[in-house]
Amino acid sequence: MSTTAAATQATGVVYADYQSSKPVDPRVVEAMLPYFTQTYGNASSLHGVGDLATAALDDARARVARFVGAQPEEIVFTGGATEANNLAVIGYALRNKRKGDHVIITEAEHISILNIAKYLEKNGFRVTRAPIDLYGRVSPAKLRARMTDETILVSVGWASSEIGTIQPIEEIAEMLAGTGVVLHTDAVAAEGLVPLDMTRVPVGLMTLSSNDIYGPRGLGALYVRKGVPVAPVLLGGGQERGLRSGTEDLASIAGMATAADIMTAEMPAEVARIGAIRDRLVARVLSEIPDAHLNGHPEHRLPSNAHFRFDGIEGEAMVLSLRDAGVAASTGSACSSKTLEPSHTLISTGLLHEEAHGSLEFTFGRFSRDDEVERIMSVLPDVVARLRHLSPLYEKKDQS
Amino acid sequence: MKSTQYTDKTLEHFRNPRNVGTLEGPNVALGRVGNPVCGDLMDIYIKVTDDDRIEDIKFQTFGCGSAVATSSMITELVVGMQLDEALKVSRGDVADALEGLPPIKMHCSNLAADALHEAINNWRAGVKPENATTGAAATSCQPRPAEVVEVEIEHLADYQGKGVYTTLGDPAQLADQRVVVLDTGDPAAQLAIDLTDHTGRVVFMTTGKEPSVSAAVRSALRLSDVKVLAEAQPLALGGEGELERIRVHDLNEDEEYELTADAFVVLE
Repeated sequence: MSTTAAATQATGVVYADYQSSKPVDPRVVEAMLPYFTQTYGNASSLHGVGDLATAALDDARARVARFVGAQPEEIVFTGGATEANNLAVIGYALRNKRKGDHVIITEAEHISILNIAKYLEKNGFRVTRAPIDLYGRVSPAKLRARMTDETILVSVGWASSEIGTIQPIEEIAEMLAGTGVVLHTDAVAAEGLVPLDMTRVPVGLMTLSSNDIYGPRGLGALYVRKGVPVAPVLLGGGQERGLRSGTEDLASIAGMATAADIMTAEMPAEVARIGAIRDRLVARVLSEIPDAHLNGHPEHRLPSNAHFRFDGIEGEAMVLSLRDAGVAASTGSACSSKTLEPSHTLISTGLLHEEAHGSLEFTFGRFSRDDEVERIMSVLPDVVARLRHLSPLYEKKDQS
Repeated sequence: MKSTQYTDKTLEHFRNPRNVGTLEGPNVALGRVGNPVCGDLMDIYIKVTDDDRIEDIKFQTFGCGSAVATSSMITELVVGMQLDEALKVSRGDVADALEGLPPIKMHCSNLAADALHEAINNWRAGVKPENATTGAAATSCQPRPAEVVEVEIEHLADYQGKGVYTTLGDPAQLADQRVVVLDTGDPAAQLAIDLTDHTGRVVFMTTGKEPSVSAAVRSALRLSDVKVLAEAQPLALGGEGELERIRVHDLNEDEEYELTADAFVVLE
């Protein structure tokens, strides 16, 4: 048990919101420290202090590349995953404008991609949003049906950060092979939970986040397959082969490399352990709380994700009540969002607004403990019952 | 500011709401405002004395933290008040009594005053609780009931065999699909119930407030996993080559929205 997780758990809080943010692994923090005070050079400098930084940068790049089965020169470090998405989608669209002006995304994308798509539309590109099925999956056939001669890029998240549904990325990549259309995937939600092997899956561009493998926040990376042309979106000194200017944040990059090494070594055991915790929560919620439903795919889903909805009550009220009871969870209800719009992914799976309002998401991770399911289930049934008692909408089925 | 950055007073009312419940009897009126589509629905019951005083008040609310807290707060503010006095209690008064609400919640989840005023108006108009309709709250989400008119569903023929079914031999053929069954009476409702054995998503769409089916079938529907979508009128079908979405007129809101669907069953 690490000190970071122990600190949260010592306060009696069950942290079941790993999708929002993850603690940095203390081993990662340890590995970062020398880069603040000892190896502080600029990798672009010609002197010896700079050379040490260059060597450290090269080493870190190779380790992050190894984590996803890539070549070191295919990894571009960015200031976070949002920036990597911008570089991938805007950078690719701008660089390949003469080939076509059409980009396809899906209804299951993260808001980062949705807003980038809107930006492209304002700047003369056409964007099509492919529908998803009942479980949040997009089919290669539905994507294929939307492709035209003008299509240059398809962007599909490897998994939904929200409902946890895993997309058939391999099939989509195979469908696109030989068409000249490049596939970008935002793999942030899937990182550390499903294997991301670029020697096996022919995606052209892939977004990675450091924090999602328990590395420091504020760092991401874009995998750019050899031969896939991308234009930079941040201009300056020409670092990262000209694709991402700005002096490299060596401490964070070294941290991400260590996080990647740890993840490679521990992922099989960790995924099995997290999956067992999640499975137990899902089984108990569905059997012990009436009129509870699981959103997302029953099998093709991230092992960390349990996404429910409860008839007759609203998500923000659930999250507030759980907070009082020492459980940190999240919701796709409009009432908790800045825009007061419910989750677009839930609506696209076919749910009505009033159902999307009743959603509650638990996500587990490296420092989650087996007994936390017990803790959640010692309070959740009462929270649901209390809010249903307050609600004019909930009528017990056995009473009607 | 986060939508959930509530004052201690608001959280206290959310945690320990006063006067939860319903009221019955001859001196009772109900005010209902909001819409579950927007995430808020409030019922406020008042019991009125012969000299126009609020003798008792109860509420039920579906909604977020501030929706619950404002409902609870107003019941405390107005119990014992004369009706004329209670009509002067405004949304601002409720927010002030809670020592403020997050700006984003001032409009959407501060309907309690509207619900109270609606209850008083219903009392004065002699509207019994069972006949109370959803009142017009001054919000973007206020109900503006539209008239039901017979409309031709656009592109219905275009998707025949591509998601539109007028007969259905074997419900299993729609396994794992999002099926919308149009309310054409008991056989359609029964088919909707049968479909729940094959897919997790069956919507029974009716233009009425309740499905136009027999009492026995209505109760079977309620016990089933069928999602009844009331006051909804299908307007047009859409999709790339096959049915993917249905444009729906929400008759309660007089608004249009799109519902994702793979199959649309309109029994002949």
